[in-house]
Formats: sequence, structure tokens, C-alpha cells
Amino acid sequence: MSEHSLGEFEELVLLLVAANNKEAYGVLILENLEEKLGKKVNVSAVHVALKRMENKGFVESSYGGITNERGGRRKKYYSITSIGKKVLDQQYEVRTSIYQQIPKISFGQ
Amino acid sequence: MKAQPPKRALQFLRWFCREDYLEEFEGDLIELFEKHFETSPKKAKRKFFWGVMRSFRPGFMKAFYKVNYSITTAMFKNNLKVAWRNALRQPFFTFLNTSGLAIGMAGALIITLFLHDELSFDKMFADADRIYRVNIDNRTAGETNHFAAVSSPLANVMQSDFPQAEMITRLKVSNSILLKEVNAEQNVKEDYVAGADSTFFEMFGLKLLYGNAKNALQKPNSIVLTKTAALKHFDLDKALGQSMVLNNDEIYVVTGVMDDLPKNSFLRNHQVFISLSSFDDAKSLAWNTWSFPTFVKLSPTANEENLQVYLSTVKDRYLIPWAMTFMPGLTVESAKEMEKSSGDFMRFTPIALTDIHLHSPNIEDELSTNSDIQNVYILAAVGLFLIILACVNFMNLSTARSLKRAKEVGVRKTLGSSRSGLIKQFLTESTLVAFMALVLAIAIAALCLPYFNQLAGKAISIPFGNPLFWLVLLGVSLVLGFGSGSYPAFLMSRFAPIKGMKGGDIKGNGGRTVINSLVVVQFAISLFLMLGTFVVFQQLNFIQNKDLGYQKDQVLIIDDVDATGKQIEAFKNQVKTIAQVESASLSSYLPTPSPRSATTLFPDKSLGSENALIIGSWDIDYDYLSTLGLELVAGRDFNRELATDSSAMILNESTTVLLGLSPEEAIGMRFTDDFHREDKENMRYFTVIGVVKNFHFETLRNSIDALSLTLGGKPKKMLVKLNAGDFSKGISELETVWEKFAPGQPFSYYFMDDSFNNTYDTEQRLGKIFVIFTSLSIFIACLGLFGLAAFNAEKRAKEISIRKVLGASIGQITYKLSIDFLKLVGLATIVSLPLAGYFMNRWLQDFSYRIEIPWWVYVLTAFMAVVISILTVSFQSTKAAMSSPIKALKQE
Repeated sequence: MSEHSLGEFEELVLLLVAANNKEAYGVLILENLEEKLGKKVNVSAVHVALKRMENKGFVESSYGGITNERGGRRKKYYSITSIGKKVLDQQYEVRTSIYQQIPKISFGQ
Repeated sequence: MKAQPPKRALQFLRWFCREDYLEEFEGDLIELFEKHFETSPKKAKRKFFWGVMRSFRPGFMKAFYKVNYSITTAMFKNNLKVAWRNALRQPFFTFLNTSGLAIGMAGALIITLFLHDELSFDKMFADADRIYRVNIDNRTAGETNHFAAVSSPLANVMQSDFPQAEMITRLKVSNSILLKEVNAEQNVKEDYVAGADSTFFEMFGLKLLYGNAKNALQKPNSIVLTKTAALKHFDLDKALGQSMVLNNDEIYVVTGVMDDLPKNSFLRNHQVFISLSSFDDAKSLAWNTWSFPTFVKLSPTANEENLQVYLSTVKDRYLIPWAMTFMPGLTVESAKEMEKSSGDFMRFTPIALTDIHLHSPNIEDELSTNSDIQNVYILAAVGLFLIILACVNFMNLSTARSLKRAKEVGVRKTLGSSRSGLIKQFLTESTLVAFMALVLAIAIAALCLPYFNQLAGKAISIPFGNPLFWLVLLGVSLVLGFGSGSYPAFLMSRFAPIKGMKGGDIKGNGGRTVINSLVVVQFAISLFLMLGTFVVFQQLNFIQNKDLGYQKDQVLIIDDVDATGKQIEAFKNQVKTIAQVESASLSSYLPTPSPRSATTLFPDKSLGSENALIIGSWDIDYDYLSTLGLELVAGRDFNRELATDSSAMILNESTTVLLGLSPEEAIGMRFTDDFHREDKENMRYFTVIGVVKNFHFETLRNSIDALSLTLGGKPKKMLVKLNAGDFSKGISELETVWEKFAPGQPFSYYFMDDSFNNTYDTEQRLGKIFVIFTSLSIFIACLGLFGLAAFNAEKRAKEISIRKVLGASIGQITYKLSIDFLKLVGLATIVSLPLAGYFMNRWLQDFSYRIEIPWWVYVLTAFMAVVISILTVSFQSTKAAMSSPIKALKQE
């Protein structure tokens, strides 16, 4: 697996980070995911994906301010990096180019 | 107040989670918890807990060294590092230390696996703990024999009046058979064949691959094959229902195919099972033939004692009433009285299935050869010795080496190291070496195991997949590391720092005494094993070269000559015409392993049971005695010219001793085996025409039993005495003749002396195993001595140099350096040899024919120990003595 590889779940999380750039944090991503996928996801799965992508340099993070929410713990906001964006673009390109190669298939009548 | 997340889960998260992630994770989890809490507090708690558990993964954990900031882990890391550097700094000692320990561990590991295999015998059978076999202990004329097979009616009798028996199965040891598919040309010989009752499979919980286990052995002429046996004839799935020809005679139907039997079971060799109902004698009501090993599965509530009590009543209730039908005047009381006066007895005794392999040596009619618990003990002792030797080595070398590190200890102490800290450091070092040795030991054992298997006739493998195995290994290495490291650790951590700093050498603290006594222990053990090996080999040699009373050399045995059918005599005559053949004889019975049979004889007309003679009975022919070179002490051999010789009999000397007669007096006596007959007048009698000199027809563990030889029978083997000419030509000619008389039958032959040597297979294997482990132990002891000598020479380098400068010769210095060690070896000899002599004498007591340990064996052992140790030590001593004095003196 190359350094720039991106798993399916990671890709989804990365897309959500990009979509909510600088506003994305664990719970937000989780809730968005659950909504889009229509199934329950465990928050630690999101954490794993985020931390991995952070190590790969696809996302970066910064702490928000202390609020009364969350028992006083700061939120950690994620934003997509330029590499992350590039990987995402590449992935998108590959998929669309292959998708366009699909001939017209008719199912049934 | 807000809802609080589960405390413990939160604590756990804080404990393991890395700091830089913690706040974020905690926050997210708490935010989710608060959200869920509004809808369902229970679910929220559960989710929180689950979230924590899911985060418990290596990537989110604190790095190992951060788990615990205490000094212990930091010191442990440091100790490990120091230990590793120390190991590298003195590669020679590290190598000696590790390899010595590794070899010892590998040896002990192999022995342990071997013993585990021995002790696991027959335990795989279903309900093995409830299955017993009935043996017969029989004493006639002062000689006690044990038999694995009992009378046929016993099983029926037990079935009817011993309700505690859940199931009873009889087996029958059969001769080897020739087997072929109905239309096939070629026969296949099967050596391990047994008859079995229909309950056999259920009794032992054996499953059939094909066929119905319940009724596979019900009908006569049914045969069940193992996978191996079946594959010789058919594809596995096609075997069922096939017809086969047995011994070119009867048709049998394959009613089942089973897996091969486990290697560690009493049935390990058996390939073919024939329904017992196919045997004529299976329904016999006679109590005096013993040919059915009978197994009983007790109900879960019953125990061995119940069976024992029951069996003790069988004789009076069934056997004697049966005997009374043809022995006038016999009553239960008279039988008892007779036993009392003569000291003879015959009784049924139970033996647990799982005891058969190790706890029933010297049993006749056994299904496969047994081992002996004594061998298990001996090997266990050898294994223990090996481990002790290796540990002693390890301890000695570490102690010697650590004495040199006094300065280091001094510095450490001065800098504030506590005693326990130092102990920990030394223990870490020894444990590290122990673990390195463990890895090496496993590799050595894995490499050597195939050879060992071949030697021991086993199929042992290292149970890599078994967690218990690893647990034990790790545990043992920890104990070894701690045990062997403890002495140097406590010794070194004890002394005052100033001493270490000043002198660099510690005197008068007992270190040397301990090292010296350990060397003595080591050599005592090695000498013990060495003497043992010598004695075992002497005894084996003695047995193999003993005059057996018959000529086993150049005698060829051809199996299954009954395949020639009615032409058997013609075949024999044809064989005799071959130039390389000196003589030939037909018989089923051999002085080497072959089937045995016994008969009950009564002297002329006196049918009183006190005169009954239970005696070996062999059917032979006119040429038997001459072919085997048996000598007569009285009377004559069978004679073709005399028709009356068909009812003649030759006895062996033991029989005449049993009768209390001289050989000459026995000639002309008449015996009958025909006592069942109603009309006593027409009983068949044999007249004794000769007495043959005693010859050994059982192993030399046993003394020579009474034996009678008569003409006739259905011979299955041919004995061919070859002259000194061209063996291979003789054999090929024999084969040509065989092809003519028995076309399509396998020509199988062997030499009698090979077969004889096989009888002592167990001893031979034991002997070889002994040699290997003895050499190992000596090697380990020498490694230790070598290391000590090297260390000693190094330590005394300065002293040696000064002596040299002052004019000492190389010889004097070598002597000075070696003599200390030789004294120790001498002391070990004095301690060890008497002990070894005592134990080996006890081992020899098992043999009826045994050597006395000659004095020179002791001398040789001691001599070899001294020579080996001189060689080991003097290499280092001379090296030290020859080095230039300036080198050692220059230092500092």
C-alpha cells in the first residue's frame, strides 16, 4: 500500500472533512456519516480514520476554544491539506474516467 | 447538574490513551454521551463504554515506556541494555554459556516430548479410564508367567453374571495372513492381524470411514481394513462390499474401512481386523487354551476392585467345574489344597488399559511390544541430569565471569545503586541468556527430532501450536534464568564497594567453593552416565554373543510356506537340492520371535491334576534339530525310518528338571494331551525318545521354560541353513524354486540372526539414546570446564607471568593450572562410581542372564573422565603458560 492510499471509509471521512472544512470535528463527522450512510458508525472508527489521515498528511487539525459543552473539553477541528485535496481529486478522476468507459448497459427489457 | 459519563470507563480511557489524543476523544465521547443521555441514559452509558473499548487499540495507546513513569521500567530497559552490551563484550563466554544451556535444554526438551508420548499411550480411546483387560498370572513349578490372553468362555461368563461390565470385547492375535482381492494375481502380506468381537469399535470409540461400526464384525468372514491396508487393494470409497481371498483359501467380505490406528496405542501396528466369529475356537468352551485378550468396560459406578473381586471367583465357579468333567476326583477343595502345597497358582487379574504400555512388561501374547515404566524413569532422570548439568555450567560461568566485574559493582554502589538494584541487574542478564538459549534450544530440538524419531521408533513433533507448551517453556526458562543467576547476583551485590574498587578481585567470600563443588557435581553426573552406558553396552554385547544353544547364523527363514499347499514336501526336497543349501526344515516355531503354543500334558495314566504339566509345544520335522544345530543330551532325534516316531516326543532339559528326573530317566516316559476323551483306554500317548540340550527360545530376560517337540502340524515357515558359499546366489535360486511352487505369492524371507537382534530392539534403542545423552552431558560438562579453565588462566595471568620471569617452565605452569581441576574430577570419581555401580546392578537384575560389572569398567570410566578433563583444561593452561610474560605484566 502506498503512502497515498486511501481506504473507502477514509475517503468518506476525508470528503466530509473537505465539505465542512475547518468546522469538521469527530462528532460532526460521525453524525454526517450516519446520516449519509443510513447506518450506525462508532466514533472510534472515525477517530482511527482521522488519525491515520493526519499521519499521512491528508488533514491537519487545530484546537477550538473551551466552552461549556463537552464537559469543558476543547473540540479538535480538522481541515483538508493540499495533498489531501490532490489525493481526493485523483481518486475522483480515476473513478469518473473508468465510469465513463462503461458502455450503455441495458438490464432486462 | 449534568449527567456524568461512566467513571470507570473514563478512568480506563485516561489510563491507556495517549495524551495528545485524549482531550479530543474524551470530548467527542462526552458530547455523544450527553446527546444520547437525553433519549436514553442506559443506552448512552453503554455506548460510551463501547466507544472506550473500541478506542483501546495500539495506535491510540501511550508508548510502552510511558505507561508507567516509575524508575522500575526505566531501570529494566537500562539493565537489558547493559546485559546485552556485556554479552557482546565477552563473546566467547557468552557463546559457551548460551550454547551449553541451549544444548542441555534441547536434550531435555526432546526427552520430555518422548516421555509425554510414552505416557499418553492408549489414553485417546473413549472411556479409556474405564477399560480393563483381563490377564492371567500363572505359576507352575516355581516359575511365574503373565499372559495377555485368556480363555474364550470368560467373556460369555462375565456377560451373564457380572452386571458391572458395560461392555466386553475379545480380540485374538492372529498369524500374519496373505490377502488379495478376488480377481487379483498377487497376494499382499499383512503381519498385524487380529480377530475382534462385533463390539470392538464401540468399545474403543473407533469410527469407521466406510461401513457400519455396529455390525461390521458381526458375521463370519467379515474383514475390516485400515486406510493403509485398504489402499493396497482398492480405492477407499470402493472397498466396502468387496470380496477378498485370505491365505489363498477363504473368501472374506470387506465390511468396513477405518482410519489408521494412533501411533501411541496398543493397536498401533494393526491393519486388519477379522470378525471373531470366523475363528473356530471363538465358541470353544475350553478354559485351558488362552488366546483371547479380553477387554471389559466397567460401568461408571464400578471400579477395578469390583472387577478383581469378581475375577477371583471365576476359577472356582467355572474353570474347576469344567475341569472336573474329565478329571475324576478333582474338586474345588482338592484344587485349592494342591495350590497351597505346591505354591502354584493360576488367576485372572485386571489391568487398566492405560497401564498396559508401561506397567506390564514381560507379558506373553501381547498385541504389540510394550515399554517399561523403568525406562521412563531412567530417561526422566537423564533429562533432569542434563538440565542440572547445563544449569550448573551456566551458574559456574556466570559466577566466574561476574567475579571479574567487581569494579563495575563497586562503581555502581558508590554512585548509589541499591543492593536490590544490582541483584535485578544480574538477574536480568542471566534471564536474557536463558531466553537466548531457549530460542537456540528450540531450533536445535527441531533439527534433531527427525533423527531422534528414527532412533526411538516414534513420530514425535514439537507442539508449536500448543499454548501450554510455550507457557511451560517460558516458565522453565524464567526459572532457569532466575535460579542460575541468583547465586552470582547475591554474591556480587553483597560486598563492600571499596573492596571491589581496590582489588578488582574478591577473595574469601565463598565464590570459589561453590564453583568447585558445582564442578564436582557436574562430573559426578557425567561419570554416572558414562558408567551406565558402558554397562548397558556390555550387557547387550553379552546377550548377543551368548551361546544360545542353537546356530542362528546363516539360517534363512522363509515365511508362509503353506502357500505351496500340498506340494510343501516336494518344495522342501527341491530346496535341499540347491548347492548352497545345507539343510532345510519345516515348522511354524522358531527360537526367535514366532507364534507360541502351549499344551497340558499328563504323564502316563495319572490324570491327577497335581501331575499336569503346562508346557510349550512345538510341531517340527525330521530335519529341525540338525538345521538349528540343537544338541541332544540323551536319547535320539526323530527318525524317518521309524513309523512309531509320529507319536514320539523330544523334551528339553528344563522339562526334565521340572519332572525331577535326569535326562536319561526321562527317556521312555509317556505323556498324553488327549485327556478330554471319554474312552480313557484309547487316549493318544507320546513317548519320550530324546532330551535336547537347553536352548534360548525366549529373550534372555527370561529363563528357559519347559518345551516339548513333536512331529507334524501345519508348518508355516521353512528354515534353510545355507553353507558358507554365495548367499545371494543361494537366495536367488530359492526364489526360483519358490516361483515354481507358489506362483504369485510373495517370497518373503529374513535371516534368523537379524530377527534375533530385533528381539533386543528396545535395549538397542535405549543403548543408543543413552550414548547420545551421555555424550551430550559430557560435552556440556567439558564446555563448563573449558570456560572455567580459560577464566582461571586469564585471572592468574599476572601470577603466571611472574612465575615465568622467575624461571618456571611451561610444564610446571601447566601442571599448576591443571591440577586444581583434576583434583575436583578425582573427587567426582570417588563420589559417583560407587553410586553408579549400585544403580546399574539393580538394572541388571531384570535379566535372567546378566553380566557382573567388571572392575575394569570402573577404571576405564575414571580414566576417560581424567583424560577428557586433562585435554579440556590443558589447552587453556598451556596457552596461558606459553604466552609472553610481558603481555600480562604490561597492563595497568
